[in-house]
Amino acid sequence: MKGVTGLFLGIFGTFAFSWTGLTLIPNWQIGHLDPQADEEGTDIYPQPKSGMAQRGRKIYAANGCVYCHSQQVRADYAASDIDRKWGTRRSAPRDYIFERPAFLGKMRLGPDLSNIGKRAPSEEENASPSPAASTSPGASPAANTPASSPNASAASSPAAAAASASPAASANASPAPASSPAPANSSPPATSPSPATSPASSPATAEATPNPNGIPPQYSAAWHHLHLYSPRSVLAGSSSNMPAYKFLYEKRRISGERSADALKLTGAENPGEDWEVVPSYDAKCLVAYLMSLDQSHELKEAKLTSGAAPAPSASPAASPAAAPLKEEKK
Amino acid sequence: MNPSEVPFTPPDPAEVTTTDSEVTTLDVEQVERALIDASTRIPVLFFYGSAIVWLLLGTLLAGLTSWKLHAPDLLADCSWITWGRVRPAHMNVMVYGWASMAGIGTAIWLMARLCRTTLRHPLLLITGGAFWNLGVLLGVGAIIVGDSTGYEWLEFPPYASIVLFVAYSLVVSWAMLMFRFRRGENIYITQWYLLGAFLWFPWVYGATQIMLFAVPVQGVMQAAVTWWFGNNLMFLWFGAIGLGTAYYMIPKVIGRPVYSYHLAAIGFWTYALFASWTGMQRLVDGPFPAWMITASIAASILTLIPVATVGLNHHMTMQGYFGLLRYSPTLRFTVFGAFAYTVFSLMGIFLSLRSIAGYVHFSEASIAYSHIGLYAFFTMIIFGSMYYIVPRLVGREWRYATLIKLHFWSSAYGVGLMVLMLFLGGIAQGNSMHDPTLQFTEATDSVLPYLRGRSVSGMLLTIAHFIFAFHFGLMLFGLGRSASVPTFLNPKEEEAVKEHI
Repeated sequence: MKGVTGLFLGIFGTFAFSWTGLTLIPNWQIGHLDPQADEEGTDIYPQPKSGMAQRGRKIYAANGCVYCHSQQVRADYAASDIDRKWGTRRSAPRDYIFERPAFLGKMRLGPDLSNIGKRAPSEEENASPSPAASTSPGASPAANTPASSPNASAASSPAAAAASASPAASANASPAPASSPAPANSSPPATSPSPATSPASSPATAEATPNPNGIPPQYSAAWHHLHLYSPRSVLAGSSSNMPAYKFLYEKRRISGERSADALKLTGAENPGEDWEVVPSYDAKCLVAYLMSLDQSHELKEAKLTSGAAPAPSASPAASPAAAPLKEEKK
Repeated sequence: MNPSEVPFTPPDPAEVTTTDSEVTTLDVEQVERALIDASTRIPVLFFYGSAIVWLLLGTLLAGLTSWKLHAPDLLADCSWITWGRVRPAHMNVMVYGWASMAGIGTAIWLMARLCRTTLRHPLLLITGGAFWNLGVLLGVGAIIVGDSTGYEWLEFPPYASIVLFVAYSLVVSWAMLMFRFRRGENIYITQWYLLGAFLWFPWVYGATQIMLFAVPVQGVMQAAVTWWFGNNLMFLWFGAIGLGTAYYMIPKVIGRPVYSYHLAAIGFWTYALFASWTGMQRLVDGPFPAWMITASIAASILTLIPVATVGLNHHMTMQGYFGLLRYSPTLRFTVFGAFAYTVFSLMGIFLSLRSIAGYVHFSEASIAYSHIGLYAFFTMIIFGSMYYIVPRLVGREWRYATLIKLHFWSSAYGVGLMVLMLFLGGIAQGNSMHDPTLQFTEATDSVLPYLRGRSVSGMLLTIAHFIFAFHFGLMLFGLGRSASVPTFLNPKEEEAVKEHI
């Protein structure tokens, strides 16, 4: 080849072609989206995150959470993400317009986190856990049904009852969403919730009842702290290979009263009588970030998946939840 | 032009006997080559030396990354070496510390040889190398202390990227100067690839830095830009240097011109065109317009053209000379790498198909793919080139044939086992993830045995790298063999080699 000019032009041309085609044109197409609002201009989605969550995003980046956790839900025809209750609809470009960096992820050694905040139990349930459940779980399944919906209580009671009989079994059942699908399904007064809320909320309420061995409801802020501090003691019986992030927590001697936000650690992780483990500000920010992850709002370009209504037989929770039920019958 | 005009058709005198009639020309050329080699000596050895130090560091980080995956409590309580920091540190050390520096070293030497010009002011090029080291050090330090940007392959914060960019500008200006003052009319195939690599890298890197940090793009476009970068870094930077090196080393060692110049031209241009358009298939089913992903899948499939032409060209050049693989370390590493390029591309096509992606997306298969590209293809070719170049720089031959053989086999088996483990593990993992009746944790459980196997393969690679570093150290301190014949892998049959040629 003798034409140096041709060589240079070709080298530049191939670069420019690829750059234009794969970044500039897509950027023109989806790179300038605005939040969606309804006719009155209210109900704006998405919205920028709070300061703490923004800082939490930096912690998420710094500690490489993205190398194991994705934040994107694929459509129901393409993959089983929605069946796994990771979301109620596929993710759309608009979900990410305030995300910087946008942690779409490329690996799932851990579950998807797109909706991890939405999957947390709601505030009031979180704040006032049923006292009956925490003190005498096995006494009467009917007793621990106070504020929450019949749906939730029906779902949680067999698990709680079984838990008192066998702690190992309860630990097994607790991380699974929708602990007991069968009763949940068979409770007619569940007032047939709208498709918009049912898929996400029913597992959440079912999880709202605290586990008898002191583990807070799954995906609540307190649960995240325990999970970050000691993943394998929270998900007992699971072989999770998530590293512990103890360096985000401070172990200190209790001076005066025990801190309100100290982790309620049990077993081998219990720091001892005079000691407590409290989350650092970074840890609080990280959890605030996790709690802010929510793509459940409907978008006009990504409708909620109609098939996302609870389908107990297909639920991943079906098999482990069945075990405690059998034990109860014994 | 026809293949016989390729400027360095006369094979190296060290490896073949010469005919009497050409002695004078050859003598001149030999002196010329010696002068060129001497001018590149300090900077190329500096780049190689730094690269090997980074390689050892990256290997240790890799071991930590791999073990922590199946032993998550190992050294977990120190923030600096938590898994999520060790992993990007490993990747960036390998990409920017090892692969880029070693690649630049080889590329500078090849450029000087092919342009038949001495490297002017070689000491200034060392400044470039020093700044590059500084950039990598800053960037890796930033990742370790928790200042990663969070973009994959671009974790270096802007203050480290700028240092890297300045270093790169120095390097590339030297390469361009050599090209400007080249002698001879023809531009050899390797020079196309090297020129491409030297120009593509700053454009791709610069465009990405601008789109992510200076004028940041919105939302999901960041992921698209990141993937566009990662893909083009692999193909237009490492891939181009690797292929260019193979186009030099294979004909050079066997002493025979490249089989077809036209095939090479087709291979080069289709490679530049199609390989640069792949990458978005890694975002399959994500929140992107479907056409982006489809375009990349189509481009992936079209890379069959460069793969076939390059593969065919190398194969036809080697035809009848495969026996030399028994003797020449350079040839053995290079041919391994060239073959791995074919496998790498075929695997890339396979993984990009939509029907397959449903099963392997978000799994370890993508890690297998990166390792076959960066290690089995690129790194092996670079090892091969180092076995060729270093003796010419230090004036000594490699000390122990056994060490070279050990290096080759540990590297070859190591990377083979690693890719196999990650690929099979990825399929097992992806399969479990795809089936919603299985709990998610079962998917992670299913890949754990394979991850343990990967750790074993990593040990083989660790052995290989320490052997190579030791051997390189001997050469650097003048402890190589002073002999006129290069070190063959199987020295007892040297006569057979000469007869064969």
